[in-house]
Amino acid sequence: MSRVIVIGAGLSGLVAANRLAGKGVDVTLLTKGIGGLQLGQGSIDVLGYAPDRVTNPVLTLSAIASARPAHPYAAIGAEAVHTGIEYLKALLGDLLVGDAEANYQLPTAVGAIRPTCLVQPSMVAGNVTDGARFAIVGLRRLKDFHPKLVAENLSRTPLPDGGRLDARPVMVDVPARDGEVDSSGLTYARAFDDPAFRDRFAAALKPQLNEGETVGLPAVLGLKDRGAWKDLSEKLGHPVFEIPLPPPSVPGMRLNEALTALAKAAGVRVVNGTRAVSARVEDGVVKGVTMATAGAPREFTGEAFVLATGGFESGALAMDSYGSVTETLFGLPLQGLDDGPLVHGDYWSAEQPLFSVGVRVGKDMRVLDAAGAAVHPNLFAAGGIIGGSSRWAEKSGDGIALGSAVRAADSIVEELA
Amino acid sequence: MSDETKPGLEFAGHEFARASLDACVKCTICETQCPVAAVTPLFSGPKFVGPQAERYRNGDSVDHSLDYCSSCGTCTLVCPQGVQIAELNSQARAVMKADHMPLRDRLIGQTTLMGTMMTPVAPIARAALHNKPIRTIMEKVVGVHRDAPMPPPQGQTFASWWAKRPKPATAATRGTLVFFHGCAGGYFEVETSKKSVEVLEHLGYEVIVPKQGCCGLAQQSNGLFEQASASVLKLCDDLRAAGRDLTIISSSGSCTGMLKHEAHEIMGVDDERLKDVGTRIRDIMEFLLDLHEAGELPTDFATIEMTVPYHAPCQLKSQGMGMPAVEVLGLIPGLTVVESGAVCCGIAGTYGLKKEKYEIAQAVGKPLFEMVKKTNPNLALCDTETCRWQIEQSSGVKTEHPIWMVHRAYGLS
Repeated sequence: MSRVIVIGAGLSGLVAANRLAGKGVDVTLLTKGIGGLQLGQGSIDVLGYAPDRVTNPVLTLSAIASARPAHPYAAIGAEAVHTGIEYLKALLGDLLVGDAEANYQLPTAVGAIRPTCLVQPSMVAGNVTDGARFAIVGLRRLKDFHPKLVAENLSRTPLPDGGRLDARPVMVDVPARDGEVDSSGLTYARAFDDPAFRDRFAAALKPQLNEGETVGLPAVLGLKDRGAWKDLSEKLGHPVFEIPLPPPSVPGMRLNEALTALAKAAGVRVVNGTRAVSARVEDGVVKGVTMATAGAPREFTGEAFVLATGGFESGALAMDSYGSVTETLFGLPLQGLDDGPLVHGDYWSAEQPLFSVGVRVGKDMRVLDAAGAAVHPNLFAAGGIIGGSSRWAEKSGDGIALGSAVRAADSIVEELA
Repeated sequence: MSDETKPGLEFAGHEFARASLDACVKCTICETQCPVAAVTPLFSGPKFVGPQAERYRNGDSVDHSLDYCSSCGTCTLVCPQGVQIAELNSQARAVMKADHMPLRDRLIGQTTLMGTMMTPVAPIARAALHNKPIRTIMEKVVGVHRDAPMPPPQGQTFASWWAKRPKPATAATRGTLVFFHGCAGGYFEVETSKKSVEVLEHLGYEVIVPKQGCCGLAQQSNGLFEQASASVLKLCDDLRAAGRDLTIISSSGSCTGMLKHEAHEIMGVDDERLKDVGTRIRDIMEFLLDLHEAGELPTDFATIEMTVPYHAPCQLKSQGMGMPAVEVLGLIPGLTVVESGAVCCGIAGTYGLKKEKYEIAQAVGKPLFEMVKKTNPNLALCDTETCRWQIEQSSGVKTEHPIWMVHRAYGLS
């Protein structure tokens, strides 16, 4: 029995649970499996496009908040995003760097340049600048990273500030494990945790590098050893930076593992394994959430509940064959359903309205109905379940998750006090 | 395919049993958590041999590295999409091995037989299991690794202690419970079983212990589905004979998982008897936590000034109830319980005993063994038998069921 039940273990669930526990609240975190954090790039996107490329995310989101009242940032507000950013940076110590007022512009694994707000120190040297010289290094046995593609795309792309950089591909072959010709990024990350492997790798790569080059590598430079990238940089005598890969995302795993360990250390009771399948509501107040535990269902009761279950990708929202969309745990009222068809056939033009479907929240992150009244007085939402924006197009998902999680946690702390 | 293995395999080969693979979005979360793939390239990982290879299986298996899966169940546990990865891998392996089941895999599933044979000759059995030449022969002939942990033979079975001991002095005030000890709790981990019933009686329950057989888990994990299905249903009959509506308490974490969900989900056992027992059984620490949450657990625990490592076994985590032992032990004043955070100890029932898998199992468990030694060189806690034997053998640290600590804190030992 805990005072607060957080449902979901993505960025918003983990941040809400940590923040509540850090303020002395007894928290249970319910999750089906591992959350989506380790599927991302291990950086924090606050606002990347609006619709043009964004350089100052917090400034731009304030403008969005005033212009679009249905956007999650309108309820969350710039201040909560600021608080969330500072909170996460403090929580994770040396794992995230950056500033709410400035986006980094970092190379991707296809050689595009993505705007993002907080990054891991191992990525910073990749921030594109006019006249930079990059050696993009591929590993022969890692099939998810193609240095030629990255280098050629980067070289022919005008940089956001108008400049140009020069990038060339380099290929090295250092096996992560004997007898394995097709290793995953994670297998390489585990190898890079070992200083002896870093020695071998540096010895193979160093002769191929030219004076003054910055070295771009797939983001596999150590999982547990946070200093692995720095050590490699010293061994090479060149600045290095990591470029995130498709899952398994090693930088994403670093964030997920750190936040999960912090939550447990702060006393959060983590119950993993089965879905939360139903909720018990009495006189409008949420009393408990039930998980489909093996043998017999288990109910988790609490005084306040944080719905951090995500969207369609996690099954928190579902659309049936008639096109009707439901929130699958509480059956909450949703916004974004009344503006015509949810999916239009032109997949390469305007955004699909479906992606903006989700719950409405007030400034305290309580879930609201269409009339603006709280659906349940003790139900709060955070992260992807909140409707009103196309996160993937805006690159705003992490900022929404952070801002709503700290706001929800702080509202709950205030009310329980 | 021989007749004796057919019925369970019909289910295992059935498309419906494996339909959850369609929910796989290839996110690789299972790949990142698989303890076996992390330490050896011989296993290509749960997603590759599971949801991916499954699409190409039409009778024959397309990926024989499947046999290196330890069936720890971590992949299913961490999957956010509800794919039953471990289950479908267990099913595919049973089908793959059906025509050439090694003798060793048939033998090590016979847990009751081992107990019956060893108990009367416990000192001899103990000596034999510690005898290098005998273990070397055992490795060569049977394929059980010479250094693998073996069950500790006891001079007395739980059943014999139970039959002979004096009845509790105080009358039961809280009603009646059925106790399920499992084969290991009956023959090898006799102390754990004794302490479990003593704690339950101390709380005011009348405890019934019916004559009981094996749940068939070791047979199931070795792919002997028909024998395992017969064992689990026979056990359901045994446990049901003690009374129809009583709660069943178990101190054997993995056998509890077999009854709660594995027999049904892996082998397709769809029987009212299993449904009845599977919904009435509770892990003993889960039961104590439920009592506590209902405000019915006396917490007049004695202080135990100690820091102790606790490892939650895979098959306990698979039940999806969190870690009840951590919460219950947290009520004991002075006691600091440090959760291992380790994925798996490596043994996975009988996997780590096998000569070709022993080294892998040791590598899987290494971070746990190190953690245990560092946290407390004298004592560790873990809810299942084979995991305790593995931790104890490989770390050199005595490893007990968490109920021992509760027993001590109630002043019963």
